[in-house]
Amino acid sequence: MSKKKTKSNFEQDLSRLEEISRILEEDSVELEDAISLFEEGVKLSKSCLKTLKESELKITELKNELGKISQVEED
Amino acid sequence: MENEIQILTVSELTKEIRRTLEESFGHVSVIGEISNFKAHVSGHWYFSLKDADAVINCTMWKGFNQYVFFTPQDGMKIIVNGKLTVYPPRGSYQLDIRSMKPAGLGELQEAFEKLKKKLEAEGLFDEKFKKSIPSFPQKIGVVTAIDGAAFRDLVSVAERRFPLAEIVIAPARVQGSGAAESIVNSIKLLNEYTGIDVIIVARGGGSIEDLWAFNEEIVARAIFKSKVPIISGVGHEVDFTIADYVADLRAPTPSVAMEIATPDINDIENFINEFLAKSSSNIKDIIETKIQDVSSFSRSYGFRLPMDILNRKTQQVDMSMSRVLQSIEKYSMIYDKKISLLAKSLESYDIHRVLKRGFVLVKQNSKFVTRASNFNKEKKAQLKFYDGEITTQ
Repeated sequence: MSKKKTKSNFEQDLSRLEEISRILEEDSVELEDAISLFEEGVKLSKSCLKTLKESELKITELKNELGKISQVEED
Repeated sequence: MENEIQILTVSELTKEIRRTLEESFGHVSVIGEISNFKAHVSGHWYFSLKDADAVINCTMWKGFNQYVFFTPQDGMKIIVNGKLTVYPPRGSYQLDIRSMKPAGLGELQEAFEKLKKKLEAEGLFDEKFKKSIPSFPQKIGVVTAIDGAAFRDLVSVAERRFPLAEIVIAPARVQGSGAAESIVNSIKLLNEYTGIDVIIVARGGGSIEDLWAFNEEIVARAIFKSKVPIISGVGHEVDFTIADYVADLRAPTPSVAMEIATPDINDIENFINEFLAKSSSNIKDIIETKIQDVSSFSRSYGFRLPMDILNRKTQQVDMSMSRVLQSIEKYSMIYDKKISLLAKSLESYDIHRVLKRGFVLVKQNSKFVTRASNFNKEKKAQLKFYDGEITTQ
């Protein structure tokens, strides 16, 4: 119902990995392409794993006052 | 003149009646059925209490009715406590109510069934209105009490499963007076806030009275109206609320609601590691095929073509190999050993040694046939042995 949200970089990276994985399984892939896709995949994997390791849950609090949105940052 | 009958004004008489009534009855508790219930915009409530034979007007001022945990409905049997008084402009007596409760749990159950039936008939529970829950939420809206156990559970599940997300909490009262309004307001707030992917409406376990706010019509309608998909996680597994029926997805508890809303970081890690393992072995296969191509090349034209073609091809493979090796070593993959072995076998490749062991190379149309599927039975083939070449008929 709501309009399509833009995907997060993380989600984009994961679907790119899926895509690369699929291409590398095809017989027709050229050596040069395969190598650079593989390199790209390894790079993406590394950055995704890094993101996962370093991620920390962020909590934002909204004030429940009628007709007003304010927020308090918490760590 | 002493015994002359005292003449009272209407107001004076009414005042007397009022004083008599208030003094002789004081506070009373009354059981009866609600009829003609009206919640005025001023916040005051007006209705009648009745049984089979009698009816009495009632008022409940805003200052008192805000402590009632449920919205009264016509036909509901309740027990009220209040003061008998008179409303002079109408010349009528009425109950000025201070507190109110359902006459029994059955009353709430009945109100629940009634509302459920009504909303169901309106289509608020229809599958076609259920929005899908995103699999990678960036911002998760939460409607619950910020100091409650449910919120702590939600946070700890999110921390464990998907700390990449941001939790946006719109604190709400989840029981007692004003709870329903507060929940509605929080849902609205989160809908106005930018970028919320999914909303969890949650509350820990409790009695039917404790959970009642989630059975209120205004909450159901706010959930239905929400543009952001909503997961409900109210009470325990056995508790079903109206909110559960309207929500896009019902989770049995707050914790499960967060589990549904988030992917598991461990699954993602596994996926990435599997990708690395699988694509390493794929790339190895691809390179092996190229090595075969190069050795075919060397067998076929080794004496006739300039060595530099062979060298160029070999160099190309070597370069690719070293790039792959670098990538793999850099990210400490276990496959580096296998691939370096492979690299060695390329360096020490000696076609003669292989042919001497009894292998034969098959050629058709000046091309080597490396797969059975590429062999054309209709055509002539050249077979290259260690000691010479023959052509089949």
